[in-house]
Amino acid sequence: MDTSDNGKFELLSSSMTDNFKLLVKALDSSVSGIVITDNSLEDNPIVYCNAAFEAISGYPRNEIIGHNCRFLQADDRSQKERDQLRESIKNGKDCFVEIRNYRKNGDLFWNELYMAPVKDPDGNITHFIGVQNDVSKRKAVEQDLRQQKAIMEQRVEDRTMALRDSEAFLTSIIETVREGLLVLDPDFKVLSANQHFLKTFKVNAEETVGVNLYALGNNQWDIARLRDLLLEILPTSNPVVDFEVEHDFPHIGKKLMLLNAYRIELEGQFKDQILLAIEDITDRREIERRKDDFLSIASHELKTPLTTIKGYMQILERSIPEQASEKFTATLGKISAYVERLNNLISELLDVSKIQTGNITLHKADFDFDKMVLEVIEGIGTSAPRHKILLQGRSESTVHADESHIVQVLNNLLSNAIKYAPESLNVEVSVSSVSDFVKVSVRDFGLGMNAEDKKRAFERFYRSSEVQKRFSGMGIGLYICDQIIQNHNGTLWVDSEKGKGSTFSFTLPKNKVQDNGR
Amino acid sequence: MGAKKILICDDDRGIIDVLEMVLEETGHRVITETNSLNARAIIDSEKPDLIILDLWMPVLSGDQILQMIRRTPETQDIPVIIISASRDGAQIATEAGANKFIAKPFDIYDMVDSVEALLA
Repeated sequence: MDTSDNGKFELLSSSMTDNFKLLVKALDSSVSGIVITDNSLEDNPIVYCNAAFEAISGYPRNEIIGHNCRFLQADDRSQKERDQLRESIKNGKDCFVEIRNYRKNGDLFWNELYMAPVKDPDGNITHFIGVQNDVSKRKAVEQDLRQQKAIMEQRVEDRTMALRDSEAFLTSIIETVREGLLVLDPDFKVLSANQHFLKTFKVNAEETVGVNLYALGNNQWDIARLRDLLLEILPTSNPVVDFEVEHDFPHIGKKLMLLNAYRIELEGQFKDQILLAIEDITDRREIERRKDDFLSIASHELKTPLTTIKGYMQILERSIPEQASEKFTATLGKISAYVERLNNLISELLDVSKIQTGNITLHKADFDFDKMVLEVIEGIGTSAPRHKILLQGRSESTVHADESHIVQVLNNLLSNAIKYAPESLNVEVSVSSVSDFVKVSVRDFGLGMNAEDKKRAFERFYRSSEVQKRFSGMGIGLYICDQIIQNHNGTLWVDSEKGKGSTFSFTLPKNKVQDNGR
Repeated sequence: MGAKKILICDDDRGIIDVLEMVLEETGHRVITETNSLNARAIIDSEKPDLIILDLWMPVLSGDQILQMIRRTPETQDIPVIIISASRDGAQIATEAGANKFIAKPFDIYDMVDSVEALLA
């Protein structure tokens, strides 16, 4: 395009024509759109535009010259930048705005406009020069950036909230566990201690957090084994699991502790911190020891009178008079058999640990269930002649089970019924056949049990406090019964009411089909 | 075989009674004691031919008495049978120098046989 006659300027001097043409060429080669308006004319019309302005605005020169610049805003008139421009024009100031403009085809573009007044020697404003750049791309990027930033901020806020939630959740877990937990920095200074630690070792948070582990509570944690753990073992085998430490603490006494330690190896702010979990197993170990002692003493004490009984029995058997009745001889034989069974029971008591690990071997065979029940009742009857055991119903069944075990269960239930109901002399036994099970119930009219006793009756060594006071016993019979019935895939349960007596019942599958191979 | 003197020391009266009954049937003289603290004095004064000792007795245990017997020149050769219902009884008895260990509850006639064998 020939731009030499773009403007209709009155030249101050013809000698400047060449320079002027050069200047016009320079303006036309600018990438910025440039317009000049004549302030002396009505409505400040555009009197010059360069090629870049035509390119940016999409209007040809003939549709530009003579118009006021506002046509560029099309219908988008309410932009505050327009006020700013108007103000500047009025006051003859230069100004810089970013304003939404529209191309001829209606497309929006962001116009970065620099506007400056041109003044004559008297200070009157003759023209305005506008330099404009299409900054739509930059604007888009900026806007995108702002949006991204807003999204990011929202996300960070959400994540922070979630993090704070889960941190609070984790903290409440740590505060709730019944195990002492310490977090140590790499120099063994305590960073945090949970409630259980403070409670177990009778300290408070202030005197614990921030203190070196060994210096805690007047150096009472300066334990050689603990130093071994932290200095020797942890660096080479991380984590350390179930490390036993015994220590005599000045105020709380001797404690047996099970330590688990883990050093954080992940890079980051927690690196090299040490988690130390301290479980106080003093009581547990003591209980285990007492249980073992108890079992030894109990079996020893039970075997002592049994030795005497067995001795006398043997003497009697060797001195049966020749004219003795068959009944007399048979009775002696039965007593011998029961003494032997008692001895076996006591031996079994020592093998309670076997029951715990489920190592009982069952010797299953078919037997006449009703006959077995009768024999047991007969046997018990002779040892408790005052009590009347009333048998109701029949199962009419052959059962495949370990008879000696079932005898043991029934014996136990019957002796309990007699033992715990000394004032009421009736015990009811009912036997029935229910589907492919036999069912036996033993009902007494004695002390009865409360809800707590009912729940715990089948626990090993459990004895209700009332029973404990009035009757001797070890709290093991029902536990063994329950285990035996379970091993036979049956169930044993109790219905009872305080003061009205108890009914113990068990079911037992009749057939081999039910055998799960145990 | 002539009558021999047997000392039985057990804190349980029942066991003493039943042992006394069968051992006297065999023609031996039986001395019994339930208080283990008196055992030493009886051994010194009566000089029994055989001693039957329980392990777990209050104050002085069977293995302690046995050690005393073995340490004293006059009594160290007296045959001693240890009887006990405790699980580690056999080991304790052997270590203390018993001639025989019999676990409770025992067969009373096996006991008689063991006594006769040691007295022979």
